[in-house]
Amino acid sequence: MTSDLAFALRSVGCAVGGGFALRDVSFELPTGYVMGLIGANGAGKTTMIRCLLGMRAIETGEAELLGRRVPGPVELRQDIGVVLDHTALVGDWRLTEVERTLRPFYDRWDGARYRHFLDEFGLDPRARVRDLSRGMAMKLVIAVALSHHARLLVLDEPTSGLDPVARDELAGIIGDFLLDEEHSVLFSTHITADLDRIGDYVTLVHRGRVVRTGPKDEVLDSYRVVRGGPDDLGGTDGAATLVGVELIGLRRTPAGAQALVRAEEADLLDAGLLVERPTLEEIALHIGSEPSGPVGRRGGRSGAIA
Amino acid sequence: MTAVARVAVLHLRTVAPYRTQGLLVCGMLFLVLARNPAGVVPSLALLLAPLIAVHPFVVADKARLETLYAVLPVSRRALVLGHYAWSLACFVATAATGTVLAEVLARIEDVSYGGRTLATILTVSWLLFAVNIAVQLPLLMWFGYARVSVLGTTMPLALVMVAVLRLHLTLGWVRDRPAVLWFAGVALLTASATLAAKAPPGPRT
Repeated sequence: MTSDLAFALRSVGCAVGGGFALRDVSFELPTGYVMGLIGANGAGKTTMIRCLLGMRAIETGEAELLGRRVPGPVELRQDIGVVLDHTALVGDWRLTEVERTLRPFYDRWDGARYRHFLDEFGLDPRARVRDLSRGMAMKLVIAVALSHHARLLVLDEPTSGLDPVARDELAGIIGDFLLDEEHSVLFSTHITADLDRIGDYVTLVHRGRVVRTGPKDEVLDSYRVVRGGPDDLGGTDGAATLVGVELIGLRRTPAGAQALVRAEEADLLDAGLLVERPTLEEIALHIGSEPSGPVGRRGGRSGAIA
Repeated sequence: MTAVARVAVLHLRTVAPYRTQGLLVCGMLFLVLARNPAGVVPSLALLLAPLIAVHPFVVADKARLETLYAVLPVSRRALVLGHYAWSLACFVATAATGTVLAEVLARIEDVSYGGRTLATILTVSWLLFAVNIAVQLPLLMWFGYARVSVLGTTMPLALVMVAVLRLHLTLGWVRDRPAVLWFAGVALLTASATLAAKAPPGPRT
């Protein structure tokens, strides 16, 4: 196991049920960085996080967390702050009771830090968990996750349902957390704008598989978005104009057609087409709209300009 | 504080917001049994103590606390044993409260209560509680509250009724062998905990 990695999943597979499974999932994050796990709802992000945290058994492959093989000793959880898309706290607890209840479990619980975060986030310590808005509840869970001096923060869809102001605040909180270079963050989302500010690494997932993973700029550089008229990308009869270019998530409207292509194939496209570097949102949109199977590879079910 | 004790305290804090309901049930039982001091402790042990002991499962089901249990730095073994430690604490608390109330009632009603009578009542109470918890906790840990809430509540009562009727158990039978029956309760709970610990990890514990 290499200790300079915050975490790693290597060829992980597990059956979830309903025909869904993780297959050959591999990605890793060096210590000190933020990784965004991007995928549509149901792509497998939460399952990957659960496998990484040891909350779900891995059937094939292996996972490593802070230098320890998963499932590691329970003490490993002292170093991990987990923020899921629900609070997982008793609704009738007051915020002071949340601290009283959780503090005994953590060796490095910092009460002053917890109260500082409550104050900073505008949370009333006398308020009950059930009376908090979604944004406030998320801030509470983040306050808990940051109050025991975790080294790795794992956030599963924390911005889902948050307004833009709260999402911006969350980005700031994560930025502050990363001031310590021993800290790392894994952040799953289907709102790619969240990662524009804070993401260092990106992993794109689709239907239980990793489509692409790496530093954000490398991922952005590895694709091009191509736009043309309604008949430019393959035509209405499916006929092709160029050989061997895989169109990922081809979207056609009466006004035009748009698809994602691999960057190394973009030069093969007709000069009349508009080819641009995509945004993360465009990449997620096209990959997420693929019907099934691996995408961004030969043999996928993407359209092809031939 | 040990990990098991921490889990037991977690359950105490989980049910603490619902103490008013618990006191209401206790008050109702007290009113019903006001003229029968000998029935107070067994009734509390059979009805109130298990109700409080399994209430963390009810709250956990509603608040999705299984996620909290999964991320807290506490082992699965400690989680399981913590449930049993919490249950035992519930029994001790209700038995102590019931004994005091029964003593007060006995004086008001001028009924003989204490000594061997009290020992027999406590033994019966312990057995009722042990059977109840020994059945309920493994069921809850294996299948979750949502699936077995009714079965978990009714099965122990049915077992006790069948045992009393089929084996013709009497208070005299209990009075003659208290040590054996206390030990049997401990053995039952130990077997139950062993079975509960084998439940697959997931949204139950």
